[in-house]
Amino acid sequence: MTKGGKYNVTKLSPDQLCFPNLAGQGDWGIKGYQSRGGYEGLKELLTTPPAAHIQKLKDSALRGRGGAGFPTGMKWSFMPQPTPEKPLSKPSYLVCNADEGEPGTCKDRDILRFDPHTLVEGMVVGCYCLNAKVGYIYVRGEYYDESSRLVQAIEEARKAGFVGKNILGTGVDVEIHVHLGAGAYICGEETALLESLEGKKGQPRLKPPFPAGYGLYGCPTTINNVETIAQAAVILKKPLEWWTRHGRPNNHGTKIFSISGSVNKPCNVEAPMSITLRALIDDYCGGVIGGWDNLQAVIPGGSSTPMLNAEQAGRVLMDFDALKAEGTGLGTAAVVVMNKQVDLLRVMTRIAAFYKHESCGQCTPCREGVGWVYRLMERLSHGEGTIDELDQLQALTKKIEGRTICAFADGAMWPVQGTIKHFRGLFEERIRAGESR
Amino acid sequence: MTAPTPAPKPPECPPAPEGMGNMLIDGAHIVVPRTFTVMQACTQAEKEIPHFCYHESLSVDGNCRMCLVEVVGAPKPVASCHWPVAEGMKVNTQSQITIEARKGTMELLLANHPLDCPICDQGGECGLQDQAVAYGSDRSHYGEMKRAVDDKEIGSKIKTVMTRCIHCTRCIRFATEVAGVEEFGATGRGESMQVGTYVEHALQSELAGNMIDLCPVGALTSKPYAYTARPWELKRAASIDTLDATGAPVFVDTRAGQVMRVLPQENDAINEEWLTDTARFSYDALSLNRLTTPLIKGQPASWPEAFAAVKKLLAKAEGNLGVVLGDMASAETALSVRDFAAQLGAKVAALPTGRATELPYTLALPFKDFDKVEAVLLLGCNPRREAPLLNVRLRRGALKRGLKVYSCGAVADLTYRHTHLGDTVAALENFQADKPLHVIVGAQAMGRPDAAALLAIAAKLGTVHVLESSCGRITAQALEATQVSADETLKGWKMGKLKLLWLHGDDTLTAEEMKVGEGALVYVGTHHSAAAKLAEVCLPAAAWAEEAGLYMNAEARVQATYAATQPPLQAKESWKIYRALTEELGAPLPWNTLGQVREALALRAPAFAPANLNKPQAVPLAIPKAAGKVLPKKFTEAIPAFYLRSTYLQQSDWMQKMQAEVGTAQINGPGRKVA
Repeated sequence: MTKGGKYNVTKLSPDQLCFPNLAGQGDWGIKGYQSRGGYEGLKELLTTPPAAHIQKLKDSALRGRGGAGFPTGMKWSFMPQPTPEKPLSKPSYLVCNADEGEPGTCKDRDILRFDPHTLVEGMVVGCYCLNAKVGYIYVRGEYYDESSRLVQAIEEARKAGFVGKNILGTGVDVEIHVHLGAGAYICGEETALLESLEGKKGQPRLKPPFPAGYGLYGCPTTINNVETIAQAAVILKKPLEWWTRHGRPNNHGTKIFSISGSVNKPCNVEAPMSITLRALIDDYCGGVIGGWDNLQAVIPGGSSTPMLNAEQAGRVLMDFDALKAEGTGLGTAAVVVMNKQVDLLRVMTRIAAFYKHESCGQCTPCREGVGWVYRLMERLSHGEGTIDELDQLQALTKKIEGRTICAFADGAMWPVQGTIKHFRGLFEERIRAGESR
Repeated sequence: MTAPTPAPKPPECPPAPEGMGNMLIDGAHIVVPRTFTVMQACTQAEKEIPHFCYHESLSVDGNCRMCLVEVVGAPKPVASCHWPVAEGMKVNTQSQITIEARKGTMELLLANHPLDCPICDQGGECGLQDQAVAYGSDRSHYGEMKRAVDDKEIGSKIKTVMTRCIHCTRCIRFATEVAGVEEFGATGRGESMQVGTYVEHALQSELAGNMIDLCPVGALTSKPYAYTARPWELKRAASIDTLDATGAPVFVDTRAGQVMRVLPQENDAINEEWLTDTARFSYDALSLNRLTTPLIKGQPASWPEAFAAVKKLLAKAEGNLGVVLGDMASAETALSVRDFAAQLGAKVAALPTGRATELPYTLALPFKDFDKVEAVLLLGCNPRREAPLLNVRLRRGALKRGLKVYSCGAVADLTYRHTHLGDTVAALENFQADKPLHVIVGAQAMGRPDAAALLAIAAKLGTVHVLESSCGRITAQALEATQVSADETLKGWKMGKLKLLWLHGDDTLTAEEMKVGEGALVYVGTHHSAAAKLAEVCLPAAAWAEEAGLYMNAEARVQATYAATQPPLQAKESWKIYRALTEELGAPLPWNTLGQVREALALRAPAFAPANLNKPQAVPLAIPKAAGKVLPKKFTEAIPAFYLRSTYLQQSDWMQKMQAEVGTAQINGPGRKVA
């Protein structure tokens, strides 16, 4: 807490931000982007060996912004690099995951509509680092308007010579395609996204093989979140200290937080990593409705992360390691604040209903389990049920978590487990009230 | 349970040979190839791993999560069906983690399963039942409403009860990967995921019945078999499918003497584990429209009366008779008919009109070797109709290892990409394959009068293989029971040279062809077929499932069938009929038992000797040199109606229904583009 304290009051100045136009106050087009320093130094990036870029990303400790927090530099280093003796036998691909579906999360949306060129530039640099001539951006189907802006941005960049053949005379070719999904949450899982991109039913693949070896169309593929790809290009352009001065070791940099729920000013904001949750809520969002003492719980990283109770929320730092130590995770940094006026159990039931609706139906535990969990939650949150059933609910989540192909089931079970862990009393109270009715 | 062997410490393990890895499974040390999955390794270590979605012949899907096992060091149990082995890996198949994982998965599988086992046809042979007993809990915690799913109407082969479906997707993968008919898929997601054809329609695959075997629960069951029997009531006999040239090994299940169903036996060399739908669903023909008693002019008679009538007819014919053998005769039958004809000074015709005798009749390679060939030319051959199980191998080759398939014949949907060169032989003029070519000559070519010339062309292009239409035809030719062509017999019959036409079985001459003669007909066979209706005397014979027999298939492999049941009422095994008849005529055939018939067979044709059974034999393919000219004729589909391609199949109600469902769409397929 002491360490996090120094970030409390710092609101970042525009030159400290990766996404200066995140609020949409300026021009989203190429002119606006260039006036903010965009595409400057791109030529230099495209003439530096990719290995140097990947090493810099490793040093920057950039971790995936899509939820899992996997070190980006390491992910990129898994991709095959050609050598003079052994050229690549297959094409490589960079796929951008813009299927932002996590409830509470809306950071990628603002990048796509207010600063799309950050992503375009990131894609160009990323493709260059990964030896990919083609990059795909998979945008969730509901983001139709946003994808239109993205397509316009790509066309602008192509006209200006930043996308296409022989970019800026460097001999680098990068083509970017935008693909609209059909609105399935599971297609945000990277291998389900690849299946969907290939025109198949969006269901996660078995791993191994991992996408870096066998991805899109069976070729080496890297899949990254919108924010990760955009930030990677910024990191590579700026000095390393520009990035590492924010956040604790292994959690450096800035991050877009989407804060919603019982706050006075819900917003999307780029803030330094390792900021305290309290500072985030108080400084950027005008505090909790009814004051900090009126706080009941906080979901720190999108609906699939377990919630924090008020006591934890008062002391926790917003970074990967700190939240992991609290038994939850940073996820997509979608902070959902719930004050004491919120019927927490109904909120969690609604989240369970979401997961029931979005399970792809491939693996048994998830297909059969999330509906069961939802129905138990529905009854228990209405006080229809027994304490035995509450225990069963906890046991059931353990039968589903960690038994499936992808992490969807884990993400569906963690919030339920978190609720029981912190608010078992609420359930019991309601069950007893129900019994006496 | 074997006593656990003490686990060797890693340094004590000798380094595994190249490409192999050391593993500890439940503490026992084994060495497995590095390409193995954990499940394969466990199988090698004789540890049973429960599973539903995994199937050896299909791609790995890993969705049922029943095969989860504990791998020491892994954060969570892994699905053994796809997890690759690693050097020094330790797997526990009996640990608490593994047992809990299985129990949990089983409870979830059963949560929405209707548990209607008492009224389910899968009951007693159900993977879910067995594994629930072995690995599940004795009660469920599930107290919510169960899901109900609408049943799908997908034709007269498969009955669906989709509420029972556990979504293992074996049927989907089979249809997509093996059958090559992408009719099945899953719609909806999560709990609402449903397996089906999306727009309901009758399945178009000739292999759809295999989905019944693949379905681990009672979601897809056999429609003809529905509610007719329970597996524990059935008696099982080994037999083969004689309806095409593959000779797929089958089990014939009977109850109280009635055939209740036909299932494939596994044999990697022949059918793998598949069976064509004609073999699977045509068994109702065994109890429909049968000849059950001898008939004289259509009136029931006793055997002595019938023999007396036959004797009279034979005397009247004074040796001017033609003998015609049908397409389902076993080796014993063919030998009996041949020797019987020889006694009377007649020659046997066993190939349909239009077919020349003394041409090759087998493949030059065993079926299994078609998994290795690199280029195939189908000359007047539609393997999807003529030998669907060979087509499965060709499809796999075309999809997985780049087998080049060319075809010269009627346009057909073979379910895989192939190069259609043309529908006349002229298309082959400038044809050259860049790899060693195997030419499969099929019914469209062999049924032509210029078949010999076509074979000569084929021989110039590569190795020649001939695909016959049934095991019976191959058996007859192997026993040289084709002494004369049917055309010649028919000519004699038409001109009145032959006073008596002796028919054993059907399909060699059509009813129209028989009608051209004036003399008498004697029919020995199984059904009230068109021939039986024309015959003066009918002698009822046993059908394929009712007598033991030997049959040769297209790879010249002789297989034995066993009698699954008795011939109906007065009907008798064919060899017995001829043995008794020849005794009546004064010169009995020299055998009294089946064993003696087989001894005689072995002497006549060594391929039928007991020591040579179940092995592909080398049969010389004599390609005629002076072959004559090729006719400028287009190839036309030889089997326009797959389900009704023989008289036997036409007797079956189910076959009639299934043919009606596919209609004429099957002739050229639903317009798949051929390259």
